[in-house]
Amino acid sequence: MIIDRPMDRDKLLDSYIKITGLNFARGHRAIFNGANLNIPRGKVTAIMGPSGIGKTTLLRLIGGQIKPDSGEILLNGRDVTKFKRRELFDARKKIGMLFQSGALFTDLSVYENVAFPLRAHTKLPEDMIRDIVLMKLHAVGLRGARDLMPSELSGGMTRRVALARTIALDPELILYDEPFAGQDPIAMGVLVQLIRLLNDALGLTSVLVSHDITESLSICDHAIIIADGQVIGEGAPSELRKSESPLVKQFLNGLPDGPVPFHFPATNYRTDLLG
Amino acid sequence: MVDFFIKVGRSGLEYSSALGRSGLFLFHSVFGLMLNLKGLRLLVHQLYKVGVLSLVIIVVSGLFIGMVLALQGYSILVDYGSEQAVGQMVALTLVRELGPVVAALLFAGRAGSALTAEIGLMKATEQLSSMEMMGVDPLKRVIAPRLWAGFITMPILAAIFSAVGVFGGLLVGVDWLGVYEGSFWANMQSSVDFKEDVLNGMIKSIVFGVVCSWIAVFQGYDSEPTSEGISIATTKTVVYSSLSVLGLDFLLTAVMFG
Amino acid sequence: MYQRSIEITVGVFMLLGFIALSFLALQVSGLSMDSQKDTYKIYAQFDDLGGLSVRGRVSLAGVTIGRVSAISLDKEVYSALVEMEIFQDVDSLSADSVASIQTAGLLGEKYVSLSVGGDEEVLVDGDTIFDTQSALNLEKIIGAFASGDISL
Ligand SMILES: Nc1ncnc2c1ncn2[C@@H]1O[C@H](COP(=O)(O)OP(=O)(O)OP(=O)(O)O)[C@@H](O)[C@H]1O
Ligand SMILES: [Mg+2]
Repeated sequence: MIIDRPMDRDKLLDSYIKITGLNFARGHRAIFNGANLNIPRGKVTAIMGPSGIGKTTLLRLIGGQIKPDSGEILLNGRDVTKFKRRELFDARKKIGMLFQSGALFTDLSVYENVAFPLRAHTKLPEDMIRDIVLMKLHAVGLRGARDLMPSELSGGMTRRVALARTIALDPELILYDEPFAGQDPIAMGVLVQLIRLLNDALGLTSVLVSHDITESLSICDHAIIIADGQVIGEGAPSELRKSESPLVKQFLNGLPDGPVPFHFPATNYRTDLLG
Repeated sequence: MVDFFIKVGRSGLEYSSALGRSGLFLFHSVFGLMLNLKGLRLLVHQLYKVGVLSLVIIVVSGLFIGMVLALQGYSILVDYGSEQAVGQMVALTLVRELGPVVAALLFAGRAGSALTAEIGLMKATEQLSSMEMMGVDPLKRVIAPRLWAGFITMPILAAIFSAVGVFGGLLVGVDWLGVYEGSFWANMQSSVDFKEDVLNGMIKSIVFGVVCSWIAVFQGYDSEPTSEGISIATTKTVVYSSLSVLGLDFLLTAVMFG
Repeated sequence: MYQRSIEITVGVFMLLGFIALSFLALQVSGLSMDSQKDTYKIYAQFDDLGGLSVRGRVSLAGVTIGRVSAISLDKEVYSALVEMEIFQDVDSLSADSVASIQTAGLLGEKYVSLSVGGDEEVLVDGDTIFDTQSALNLEKIIGAFASGDISL
């Protein structure tokens, strides 16, 4: 049904995720209206945009956790929005998602958290699970923290453990929601390298949501800027930097005033204050 | 006026949609119990948290209620010279009514509220979402073992409550007030029937167990993912469970003993 | 190790539940394994049951030897027919035994009390006791007392 024109097929081959005409509203507020975007296969794609614009929401839509009001979300050529519960759970085994809050299971130790997806989806013997868990924890620099409980971790450590858990099953697609928030410069550098390495060594597709424009642009192959429920700029980092669009310029340079509002929609400040 | 009807209509719709959601939810989770070693482990763990940890409050309350029943019963019966019927009174009251009902109320307050808060917090901290995104169904992994643990625990707690209560009655009636032990038991045994009284009491507690656990896990799962939402959900669990238990008890009593 | 101790306590918990239920069944409701064992039926006719009911105790010298299993009205002689199940091992009740309805305490439950006679012959399944004493009817006594038939 989707691949009826040869031109589309060509495009489809190199895009892992293809979203067309996405509409989604929370209450009366439209988060997306008619957004279209492509996420190329085997590349690192950064999604950037002002806070509260719906980046996390976009990741949830891709993961099928919430359904859009209308529009298609093709994941590997199959429409996520039309999946049955069963298919959705199967599809998710190939997706890793790093939550903004980490979302570790608070009743399990760091070790057990990372082992969780392995135990749930594989029948590996215990010593192999142990090897994999320690490898993944080592990659994020927390092999020594394996026996701690999530409540004993700092915010940045929590996120790194969550990252180890996300990559435990070597998924095809990893969605990172703010992986750099709360990391010191050293950990940040390691994470940047890790994301790049995972992507290239395992041939994954990575989607990275971040506010950190410099970091994001430095590691991504493809960047998408969203604002106002639309994609306002898309392309390789170098192309975006050269972009003439005032919206893109404002965002990349971090200017408070411009076409993209810094403020959440509100009534006039003056009238609000004066009652 | 029109506003009023719109309001009533809307809240009616909201209630029936919540009921529908909770029904579907119950269906998915009841049949979602994993019947393998891992599922059993999870179930045992929840039996510990829901059942074993409620044991102390059940035993202590059962003992005191049995003792109070014996004391009150004695002071009434002694006027008619039939104080040996105190065993019968204590046993019938416990087995038919107080055992299942009070155990269920204590269960709702002790285990039900804890279940709601735990699940609500797991939702608020995105643990349920992240589980979903890992391709693990939280209904199977988190909800089903808790629900079944509640189903299994409730009749056990009610039986323990009644048994300990009878023992409390024995302590006060026989050891303290001096009712002759032989007639204490004989009176009890000739008036309490296994099928009519004990089994019907067990059936009551099974019904209460299903209702209380269902309410507790659903309120947690359906809670607003904020600290206020969780506190509202916990309160709802205790209030709804208590009201349902008392209402259902009346219905069941009317059907069984009426 | 942690998991193991949880498993053990849960096992103990289930066992406690089972013990509690057995206690309720055996000690509280008097469901005894031997009440399932064989019994034989004997009958007795009374003029007035005075509140005796099914499941009431049948005792001999204060020991429970059976229970009342059915009560019906004998339409020919207008008296109550009580069917009793007596434990099989109590097999030497003489044929001239006397059955009386007694009250435990002043207002307690009614039960059937048997007292044996000297006859060589014993009661067997289906026999009827003819020598009976009806319940002591408190209202009748009070009535008689009030009308002066009895004086202290
Ligand atoms: N459960 C919800 N109910 C109602 N509105 C919500 C809900 N979750 C998010 N929103 C709204 O949707 C909008 C998008 O939220 P989202 O979390 O996707 O933002 P974001 O782009 O990830 O922001 P940030 O960069 O700060 O994480 C927000 O403005 C928020 O108000
Ligand atoms: Mg976000």
